[in-house]
Amino acid sequence: MRDLRVWIVPILVVVVGALVLYPLAFLITESFNVGDPQIFPPEAWGAGNYLELIEEPRVIGNTLLVASIATVLAVLFGFIQAWILTRTMIPGRERLERLMELPYYMTPLIGALAWGVLLGPKTGLGNQAWHLIGFSGDFFNIYSPQGIAWVMALFEGTVAFVMISASMKSMDPSLEESSRVLGAGKLRTALRITLPMVAPGVLSATIFVFAEMLGSFAAAFVLGIPGRFYVVTTAIWESTLSYPPDYGHAAAMGLSLSGAMVITLGIARLIMRHGSYATITGKAFRPRAMEVGALRYPLMGIAWGYIIVAVILPLGALTLTSFQKFATVIIPQMQFTLANYETAFSLGSIGPAFANSMILGVSVATIGVPIIGVLAWIIYRSTMPGRVLMEYVMMIPQAVPRLVFGLGLLWAWINIPIPLYGTLWLLGIAYFTVFLPLGLRTIAGVVLQVDKSLEECARVCGASWTQQMRTVTLPLLRPGLVAAWLLIFIASVRELGVSVFLMGPNSKVIAPSIVSSWLSASSELSAAMALLQTVMVFIAVAIMFRVARSVTGTPG
Amino acid sequence: MTPRIEVFELVVRYGDTTAVDRVSFAIAPGELVTLLGPSGCGKTTTLRAIAGLETPTSGAISLNGSPVWTTKRAIPAEKRGVSMVFQSYAIWPHMTVFENVAYGLRVRGTSAADIKSNVARVLDMVQMGAYADRPSSALSGGQQQRVAVARAIAFSPTVVLFDEPLSNLDAKLRAEMRVELRELQRRLDITSLYVTHDQEEALAISDRVIVMSGGRIEQIGSPEDIYNRPVSRFVADFVGSANMIEGRVVSTDPLVFETKAGVRIRAAAGSPHSTTLALRSSYIHLRPDETNQIAGTIHRRMFHGDFIQYVIDWPDGQLIVRRPPTELLEEGSAITVSFAPDYCVLL
Repeated sequence: MRDLRVWIVPILVVVVGALVLYPLAFLITESFNVGDPQIFPPEAWGAGNYLELIEEPRVIGNTLLVASIATVLAVLFGFIQAWILTRTMIPGRERLERLMELPYYMTPLIGALAWGVLLGPKTGLGNQAWHLIGFSGDFFNIYSPQGIAWVMALFEGTVAFVMISASMKSMDPSLEESSRVLGAGKLRTALRITLPMVAPGVLSATIFVFAEMLGSFAAAFVLGIPGRFYVVTTAIWESTLSYPPDYGHAAAMGLSLSGAMVITLGIARLIMRHGSYATITGKAFRPRAMEVGALRYPLMGIAWGYIIVAVILPLGALTLTSFQKFATVIIPQMQFTLANYETAFSLGSIGPAFANSMILGVSVATIGVPIIGVLAWIIYRSTMPGRVLMEYVMMIPQAVPRLVFGLGLLWAWINIPIPLYGTLWLLGIAYFTVFLPLGLRTIAGVVLQVDKSLEECARVCGASWTQQMRTVTLPLLRPGLVAAWLLIFIASVRELGVSVFLMGPNSKVIAPSIVSSWLSASSELSAAMALLQTVMVFIAVAIMFRVARSVTGTPG
Repeated sequence: MTPRIEVFELVVRYGDTTAVDRVSFAIAPGELVTLLGPSGCGKTTTLRAIAGLETPTSGAISLNGSPVWTTKRAIPAEKRGVSMVFQSYAIWPHMTVFENVAYGLRVRGTSAADIKSNVARVLDMVQMGAYADRPSSALSGGQQQRVAVARAIAFSPTVVLFDEPLSNLDAKLRAEMRVELRELQRRLDITSLYVTHDQEEALAISDRVIVMSGGRIEQIGSPEDIYNRPVSRFVADFVGSANMIEGRVVSTDPLVFETKAGVRIRAAAGSPHSTTLALRSSYIHLRPDETNQIAGTIHRRMFHGDFIQYVIDWPDGQLIVRRPPTELLEEGSAITVSFAPDYCVLL
C-alpha cells in the first residue's frame, strides 16, 4: 500500500498541476504575441495586445456599468432577504431559507433566456401585456445593459444572500443584548452595534459579487450580442470569431480581466479576514429574531417576491414558450404543441448534445471525485511537502473566468500533436480542470470536519491503512464525496464558458446548443431545451438534499 | 521484570522547535503512570510517539521488551498492539456503539461469537451494556467516554494510552470517572500511560507521576513524593498550592533559611545554596503548634466549602493558607502561623 501511495501521489500532483498551468502558460505567451496570431510559438513579441486594450475603453466602460448596476441590485436583494430571513419572525422562514438556493441553480443562461421571453422588445410577454392594457412602447427592453444587469443580479442575489446571512448569523446575540441591557434602544442598538458588526460581511459580499460579475458571460452573451452591446467576456468571444481570429488580443483581454478579478477577490478576502468582527468565533448562532407584528405578511411577501421573480416567473415563461408552435408568441393567438420536445430529443445535433452532456457529467464527476478526494486528503491531512502550493494551483481556475480558461485550453490543445480538439475527451479534461476548485472546496469541507483522531484511533486499534480508509475515512467522507459528485455533475451539464470554445461538430453539449438555437431565433425550441437542462439539474439538486438530510452521522 | 513501556532519550522535533527533549522512563506491568504538565510541555507528543502516531527524531521506544521505534526501525501504529483513548473520544459517528467497540476485534479477525461475548463483557464493565445497538452519534459526552474506554480495552491490549480522557467532562463526572478508571485499571491489571494537565487527577489515580515542562522531565515519583518533595520550583508551583518564599540559607546545622524580611525558618533538608523555600498551603497551621512560628494577621478569608483559604499578611508579604472548614477565623484577627521543618522544601 505504501508503494502505491509513493507512486500515485506524485503522478497526480504532476498531472493536475500540468492541466491547470499548461493552458495558462499558453494564454500568457499568446497575449504577448504581436506577430501572426495563428502561429505558435510567436514570431514577434510585444505588449501591443495590452496597449490595444487601453485604446478601446468602450468595452471596459460597458463591463463596469453592467457589473456596477448588477452588484448594487444583487447586494440589495441579498441584504433584504438575509435580513428578513435571519432577523425577523415571518411565517415559513425555514422553507424560504431552503428555497433561497434555487436561484443559484437556475444559472444566468436560463435566466437570460427566460427574461428574453418575458421582456424582449415587442414580443416579450410582459411587453405584450403592457400593450394590451393600453400603453404604448415597451415596458422594459431586456436587451439592454440594465436588462443584462437585472438577470445577473437575480442570480448573484443568492450568493450575496448566503454571504450576508452568514455574517448576520455568526453574530453573537449577546452583543446586541448587552447593548439593550446597558440602556440603548432598538434603533441605537441597530445603528451602533448591529450595523458595524454586519458591515464587513456586506462589504466583502459586494466586492465578491462585483468580481464574479466582471467575469460573467452568459447573460451578456444572450442579451447583449443581438444589440451589439459588448462587455469584456463577450468581446473576447467576438475577437476569436473574427477572421483571422485575434487570439493575442483575446488572451490579453482575458488575462487583464483575470488580474482585475484576482485583485478584487483578494480585497474581498482581506476584508473578510481582518475587518470582520462577527466571524471571529466561527460559531453559528441563531440570532434573536424580531417580532414584526402586522409587518410580517408584507415582509413574507417581499421574501417570496424574490423567489417568484428569480425562479417561478422565468421557469413559467419558459414552460409556456416551450409548448408554443411559433417562435414569437402573440398572447391572444397561442397554439400549444409538444413538437419542441420531440425536436429537442430527435433533431440531428440536439439529441446528441443532451447525450454528450450526460456522458460528460457522469464521467467527469465519477473520475474527478476520487482524484480530487485523494488530493484533498493529501493537502489537508498529510505532511507532504508542497501541499500548500498544490492547493494554490488547484484553486487557480477559480480566479480565471471560464471563458478565458476555455480560450487557453483551446489554444493549448490545438497546438499539441494529440488529436483531442473537437472530441469529448478534450471537453472532459477541460471540465475536470475548471471544476477542480469546486470539487476541492466541497471535499475539503468534509475532510476538515472529520477529526483526525477518528482515523488515528482506527490505526491504534490495529487497522492497516487500507482498512482504515475503507472502514473509517471513506464512510465519513461519503456525504462530501456524494455532494462533490452531484455538484460537478450539475456544473458539467450546464457548463457554457469553456464549452463554447472547445465544442466541435461531433462533440456538441447542451448549454452552447441552447445559445445557438436561441441566436438563430427559435426561442420555443431553446425554451424546451433550457427546461430539460433545468430539470436535469433540479433532479440532481433534489438527490443532493436528500443525501444531505439522510446523513445523520456528521461528527460534531 | 521487563518493563511494558520503555522510552529512552526520546527526542521529537518539528522544524526548529523541540517538542520532546531527551525523555526517558520505564513503566512496569500493571502500573498506571501519568504524564503531567501544562499544555505544550510535550506530554501528548510523547504519548503519541509511543502509539506510533508521531515520528520521533531520535531515541528509542520499546514495548514488552522489543523495540517498536529506533532510528533504524519503525513499526506502524497498527502493529504495536497498544490501545489508546483519545481526548476527543474519537467515537466513529457512522457506527453503532457495538460496532465501535468491536472494531479492534474485527480487524484482528476474531470470530463473530467471540466478538459478541467480548463486546458485551466490556460494555457491561463500563455500564454501557444497554446501549450496544444505539447509534453512537446519539451519546452524551460521558457515555462517549465510556464507549471509548470499552473500545480501548476490548481486544485485551497489554498497554492502554490515555490522552487527557476526562478533560471534556464536567467536574462532577470527571471525579466519578476518575474512580471508575482506576478501578478498571486495577481489576484488569492494564499497564497504562495517562496524559493530563490536571494535577489533582494525576495525584489521585497514579502509581507514579512524571512531571514534564518544556519537553523535559522535571521529576518522576509517587504522588506523595511529587507533592511533599518537589525537586524544582516548577513542580512545587504546578502541583498543588504552595507558597514560594525568597531568601537564603544562613546556617546548615541546624538548617536555617532566612527570608528577605529577616524571618528565620528551620528546614529539615535541602541544598545550602537554595534561594527559595516552598511551603504547601495545607501544611500551615494558624495556631502556634509547630516549630516554626511567625506572627501575622488574617487579611482575607474565602470559604471554598471543602476548605477555607486564608490570605495572611506576614513580614514577607502574603501567605496562602488552607484550613479545614471547621477552623473559621475572622478577617483582621492577629494569629500565629506555624509549620513543621519537615514540610519546608528548599529549592
